Amino acid sequence: MSDFFLSPVGLQHWLVVSTALFSIGIYGLLTRRNAVGILMAVELLLNSTSLNFVIFNKFATPSAVDGQIMSIFIIAVAAAEVVVGMAIFVTLFKHRKTVDVTSMNLLKN
Amino acid sequence: MDNFVSDILFYVFAAFSISLAMLVVTTRRILRAAVYLMCVLGASAAFFILLGAEFLAGVQILVYIGGIVVLLVFAVMLTRSVDLLEERPTLVRKAIGGLAALSFFGTTALILTSTTFPVLRGGPLPPNNTAALGKKLLDYGSEGFVLPFEIISLLLLTAVIGGIVIARKTSVEKGGN
Amino acid sequence: MHSEQSFILNNVWLIPAIPFLSFLTLGLLIRNFPKKLQDQLSGIVATLAVFSAAVLAYWLAWEYFHLFPAGVAKQALVPWSFEWLRYQENLAVNVGVLVDPISVLLMVVVTTVSSLVHLYSTGYMHGDPGYARYFTWLNLFTFSMLGLVVSPNILQMYVCWELVGASSFLLIGFYFEKPSAVSASKKAFIVTRFADLGFLLGVILLGYYGYNLFASVAPSLHASGLTNVQPFDFAFLTNPEVMNQFMGMSDTFMGMGVLTLSMVLIFMGAAGKSAMFPLHIWLPDAMEGPTPVSALIHAATMVVAGVYLVARMFPVFAASADALLVVMYVGAFTALFAAVIGCTQDDIKRVLAFSTLSQLGYMMFALGVSSMDHPLGYTASMFHLFTHAFFKALLFLGAGALIHAVHSNSIWDMGGLAKKMPVTHATVLIATLAIAGIYPLAGFFSKDEILVAALESGHTGVFAIGLLVAGITAFYMFRIYFVAFWGKPSHHSEHAHEAPISMLIPLIVLAIFTIGAGFVPMADLVSIGHSAGGHHGINWAVAGPSLFVAAAGISFAWFMYVAGGKQRSAALAGALGGVYTTIKQKFYFDEIYLFITKKIVFRFIATPIAWFDRNVVDGGVNLSGWLTRASGAALNSTQTGQVQTYGAWFVGGAVTVTLVLWIFFL
Repeated sequence: MSDFFLSPVGLQHWLVVSTALFSIGIYGLLTRRNAVGILMAVELLLNSTSLNFVIFNKFATPSAVDGQIMSIFIIAVAAAEVVVGMAIFVTLFKHRKTVDVTSMNLLKN
Repeated sequence: MDNFVSDILFYVFAAFSISLAMLVVTTRRILRAAVYLMCVLGASAAFFILLGAEFLAGVQILVYIGGIVVLLVFAVMLTRSVDLLEERPTLVRKAIGGLAALSFFGTTALILTSTTFPVLRGGPLPPNNTAALGKKLLDYGSEGFVLPFEIISLLLLTAVIGGIVIARKTSVEKGGN
Repeated sequence: MHSEQSFILNNVWLIPAIPFLSFLTLGLLIRNFPKKLQDQLSGIVATLAVFSAAVLAYWLAWEYFHLFPAGVAKQALVPWSFEWLRYQENLAVNVGVLVDPISVLLMVVVTTVSSLVHLYSTGYMHGDPGYARYFTWLNLFTFSMLGLVVSPNILQMYVCWELVGASSFLLIGFYFEKPSAVSASKKAFIVTRFADLGFLLGVILLGYYGYNLFASVAPSLHASGLTNVQPFDFAFLTNPEVMNQFMGMSDTFMGMGVLTLSMVLIFMGAAGKSAMFPLHIWLPDAMEGPTPVSALIHAATMVVAGVYLVARMFPVFAASADALLVVMYVGAFTALFAAVIGCTQDDIKRVLAFSTLSQLGYMMFALGVSSMDHPLGYTASMFHLFTHAFFKALLFLGAGALIHAVHSNSIWDMGGLAKKMPVTHATVLIATLAIAGIYPLAGFFSKDEILVAALESGHTGVFAIGLLVAGITAFYMFRIYFVAFWGKPSHHSEHAHEAPISMLIPLIVLAIFTIGAGFVPMADLVSIGHSAGGHHGINWAVAGPSLFVAAAGISFAWFMYVAGGKQRSAALAGALGGVYTTIKQKFYFDEIYLFITKKIVFRFIATPIAWFDRNVVDGGVNLSGWLTRASGAALNSTQTGQVQTYGAWFVGGAVTVTLVLWIFFL
């Protein structure tokens, strides 16, 4: 473990950071009660993914830029997702006067 | 020396980013969460610079921080969650979430650290990679990404229209439910 | 093959197809018409269809026997076939049309009798509420029978075999509001189905070994010109080379060779359809159907399908001496057994049914006594099939006319009808003389040939039985003739009058056939094996005794029923006592079957099985249902309806899968 911190920063350090961000996103996804909070957690997930692409781009294929392009796509998809998510939550709020996801259990049993 | 500085910067930003990300998912005030998220995304932009992707850092700040977070703030406003103190998740829920997140992190980190990746070169990206990025994105040859690019633009258009259609003043009162 | 081949030889498929089309027209189209129009159309359409098929069949016979005249080896042609099922490279089943002497013969018989019966039925069934339905089933039967006759392979034959069984079921149960008709149709169906089980097993067994042989034999078959031959084809199964291979097989089952076993099983099917002892019990009951149906199906055509099957597979039977012996003994015993019962029955149709059984026994033992080297019995059997179809159909149709006139089946209710129904009287007399074997009517020639074949084969006992049965036949046939036409008129028969013209024409035509059919040079047309050709002529050493026996039978009948009146026959019956009752009750065979099925099969097999089904099988089903519900209820609680729970499951699953893959596969 100490080797990990003593060695110069490399691919694995970066990956661990992005994995940590992803895990935190998962935690938020599973525990937040506010739907907008969940959307934020999803943004964390997407951001960590995009980070991953750039990391691999730098360490695996530094001469090409494909990873960065994928990152751009992810950002665009994230934007689209937020737009749709927001619209859904706003409509949901209009109907049910709440965005607490624990109260949404129509699928129960 | 240069490497040493960038290593220090990496650790600093990593600590900053992770601790703020934790705040994002745990704070009970949703607007604060949005602000913390902004900071995390900013830290990611710094990561991008460290990784040599300056253009991407710019995109991150412009689109993510300037666009998406603003949208999220709008969502917060529209759902009147500003003054609301979000209820705490139950202990069981916390335990389940924590377990899921930790197990994911443990597994992935274990696999990542014990795997030897075929790293070619740890150096910075070539300085003119922004130009390469632009060229590649609009290249319609076999190596180019113009088709996904167009599809993404279509997706964004669809999302915008869809968002409007879903969220516009629906005829709830008229019984169109 | 032959450049000058005519239209009909290339289009034999038309002969079964026309009745089939008519069946579809009647069953799908005309049945939707109003009742009156339906009745007017159905009879005409059905009769015309079968008549045109008959014309084509005669044309075919003319062309075929001109193509292969007497003395020329008759080839089996398959002018039309298509692939029906292909299982693999070497195993396909075709549907097609086979033209060879016996199929041509049978086509002529079936279409002739069927068209005359159709014509007769337009009169007989007139005004019946099920008129259109009757003709629909009659057409279906004609189609199925023709399809059976022309089958080039055993599977097509099996399909058509079941189809004739089904149409026979439908027609026996035609008066389905009568409980006796319903039970008779059920009985016929179940008994023949039971026999068909044996047939199917035989086909499967034969097909299995045939298929195993196929790969090794096929090249030489192809070389000898038999291209496109398949393992189930008769051309393959009866090929000498294949037979040699079969005979060389050392596989045995329960002490029997494979060939013998499969042939005995196939003969079981044939015996069921032809009502051979001990599967004969359904045929007398089948007389519950309308009389024309009895004439067509249960006298002239369907019941000879069993004989036809044995004839079709004859080379294979001949290769297995044991199987052929079974055929012979069963046939001879049935001939005697049924003839004895026939003497005691009062219902005119039942007497005719037992006489049919007896004559079928003749055909069977004629096949049984012949071999590939001495094929006289084969020819004789087909000859008898041919002549029997005409005179027996004539007898049934005549009986139908009598029943139509007196509204009773019992011969004692008839009587004195000779003057009132002159045409019926004359035609029935011709048929009765023919079945008794009086020169020069058809029955004489064919029966004579069978007896000659039996004598020449060296089976003297069988010959003696045949001779005895000829006498008994003459007796019981003249018994009903004398009682019905010469006896004292009863109150039933006082107001009887002649049948309508549509019923008389078939009688007259069949009478002409009955007179003329004996002069057909059958030995030139139908033969098999090595010593082909050469008309036998009449062997007076056999014909003399048989004529004498027949005359004795007739005289005895005259003595008993004309000269002696009812008292003498009653006295004889009284003298015989228990023997007479036993015979009259058909040797209690129905009771024995009932005892076996009810007391033994039901009690010791069916009841335990039912218990097993109700408690163990149903219990298993219920258990699985209960398990499903219980596990569903248990799993129900995991469905919280909350997306986050599902997300947790998802992450957990993803982590588990990753770990498993990483630990065990990396």
